[in-house]
Amino acid sequence: MSEKCILIIDDEESIQTVVEFGLKMTAGWEVISASSGNEGISRAQADHPDMILLDVMMPEMDGLATFRALQLNDQTRSIPVIFLTAKAQASEKRLFNETGVNGIITKPFNALELAQQICKVLNWTE
Amino acid sequence: MRILVVEDDEIFRTLLTQRLNVECYAIDVAKDGVQGWEYASTYEYDLLILDLVLPKLDGISLCQKLRHAGYTLPILMLTSQDTSTAKIMGLDAGADDYMVKPFDEPELIARIRALLRRGSSNPLPTVICGPLSLNSSTHEVFYGEMALTLTAKEYALLEMMMRDSHHVFGSDEILESLWSSEEFPVDATVRSHMRRLRNKLTAVGAPPDLIATSHGRGYYLKILDLSTSTIAPARETPNLVTGNSPIEQSKSNELTQQTQYLELLNDTWQKHRSTCLERVELIRSTLDSLHLGQLTSPIQAEAYRAAHTLVGTLGTFGLDHAMRLARNLDQELHPDLYLEPYQAEFFRSFLNQLQQQIEQTLYIENLPTMVEDRPQAIEDSKSKPLQPEIRVLMVDNDPFFLETFPQYLKPYGFQVLTLNDPRQFWSVLESNHPDVLILDIQMPQINGFELCQGLRSVDPWQKIPVMFLSADSKAETQHKAFSVGADDYLCKPITAESLSDRIHNRLQRIHSIMN
Repeated sequence: MSEKCILIIDDEESIQTVVEFGLKMTAGWEVISASSGNEGISRAQADHPDMILLDVMMPEMDGLATFRALQLNDQTRSIPVIFLTAKAQASEKRLFNETGVNGIITKPFNALELAQQICKVLNWTE
Repeated sequence: MRILVVEDDEIFRTLLTQRLNVECYAIDVAKDGVQGWEYASTYEYDLLILDLVLPKLDGISLCQKLRHAGYTLPILMLTSQDTSTAKIMGLDAGADDYMVKPFDEPELIARIRALLRRGSSNPLPTVICGPLSLNSSTHEVFYGEMALTLTAKEYALLEMMMRDSHHVFGSDEILESLWSSEEFPVDATVRSHMRRLRNKLTAVGAPPDLIATSHGRGYYLKILDLSTSTIAPARETPNLVTGNSPIEQSKSNELTQQTQYLELLNDTWQKHRSTCLERVELIRSTLDSLHLGQLTSPIQAEAYRAAHTLVGTLGTFGLDHAMRLARNLDQELHPDLYLEPYQAEFFRSFLNQLQQQIEQTLYIENLPTMVEDRPQAIEDSKSKPLQPEIRVLMVDNDPFFLETFPQYLKPYGFQVLTLNDPRQFWSVLESNHPDVLILDIQMPQINGFELCQGLRSVDPWQKIPVMFLSADSKAETQHKAFSVGADDYLCKPITAESLSDRIHNRLQRIHSIMN
């Protein structure tokens, strides 16, 4: 598979670390991190990642707001986004569904399986 | 690596010493607590293995005494006491790990290795220095593609130098680390072992000065590019057993990945455990406000976010129990829920357990196993057929409650049967076969506890999920509920959403256990 560049936006540093490790080790992808919605948007504009993993619950600007901002921006609109969330309730999933996000990955996740999960959700073929 | 074993049982001591000798460790033994103290405070050890029950000075006191005196060496406690109190006492006294006798020998050795690695500057099992690679789990050493067969002492010498490849090791230091005090070794012993090790290395093509001598100072590993002294990514790990089939190789890669992932989780956990505890404190102060009737929406939202973040983080580290406790709080503190001051006490009991779980988790021992739901593409979920309704039997003597709640729960995919007379409980149960029971406690004729107790003693109903729903938030009532076999305890008032989440969680858990 070609080398991908993934942007992880999560205010939890430990989650960033784990995601970066898993994706690098299992798929050899490059991972860039951002700790807030605003930082994530500027990284997405500057680095044009192949996809974005976006934490839903963040202080100040949450994942939904960040996603909307990414959608309104010409430079970032076409980047696929997967929500990372600890929420598993059907009602929440419906809400996410309506936003038009590409997929959801539920926390907790096993970082060693994450690359595979991303490929599956985005139909990336090896 | 040098280990002190403090153990009064002679048979056990001998077995352990023999086993550890095989693993190339230098072992000193002490037969009681006082002797243990004398050894530990006189010599340098990389690890202390300590029995809990000892003559003269017990293990806990010795552990405390060492920590008090500023000794930071890793301590592994061994004991036949299997109670959680004993473990907590041991860990609180300053032990780093705890194992209960009789134990699985390979597990003990693995834990010893893990503790020893923590003290070294390179805490990973596979050490690579230029063309040299050493795997401390399998004791295999390679120079390039060539395997080396080393004696225990040669292996220990090489591992020591590889783990700290910038360091020059003096003879004294080597003797102290690798020979037990009973062996009375001299400088010449080190020289002769070094010579043999060098010969073996040159025989597989290493330069003669790979182990270099710095005159008057000692020995060091001369690798041209020391920056490569790090763990190898899985793809570059040398093929440990020559002639591996591709499948075996991919299996071994997978294993290496998992080991390294576990190491990373441990490292990350060490760094972020305190952040988790800060989040617990934040929730605690919110509960204090709730208790005093001073809870505001922004405070509740912040506590909710903290609990929510904890769910994701603790789960990712594989701390399932802690994650579930956090999830309970996450659900209870949802910003849409109105909280009453009396609920604070109940939430605190969750929070205390959560804090205890985080504090007691010093190491991540197992990789997380994922039993939660799988990722899904949004497109898939649209076309999914609706799940069958979940049948809930609600036994409560409050007519208003029984009238309203079934309606509220319906949109969440529940079919609710209600019963206000507990005397008909068994016949309704038999004829309807519900998936979940929700019981009130205080009812005339038969109370909820009696029903639950009855259920747990009859075969087909032993495993049915039972949730109590009561206005009584006292800790002892909740305790009583769990002691008669409840799966969950919820306090009134409760929103339908919250109740729905709790039922779904309960069923999901049972489902995951059964699969």
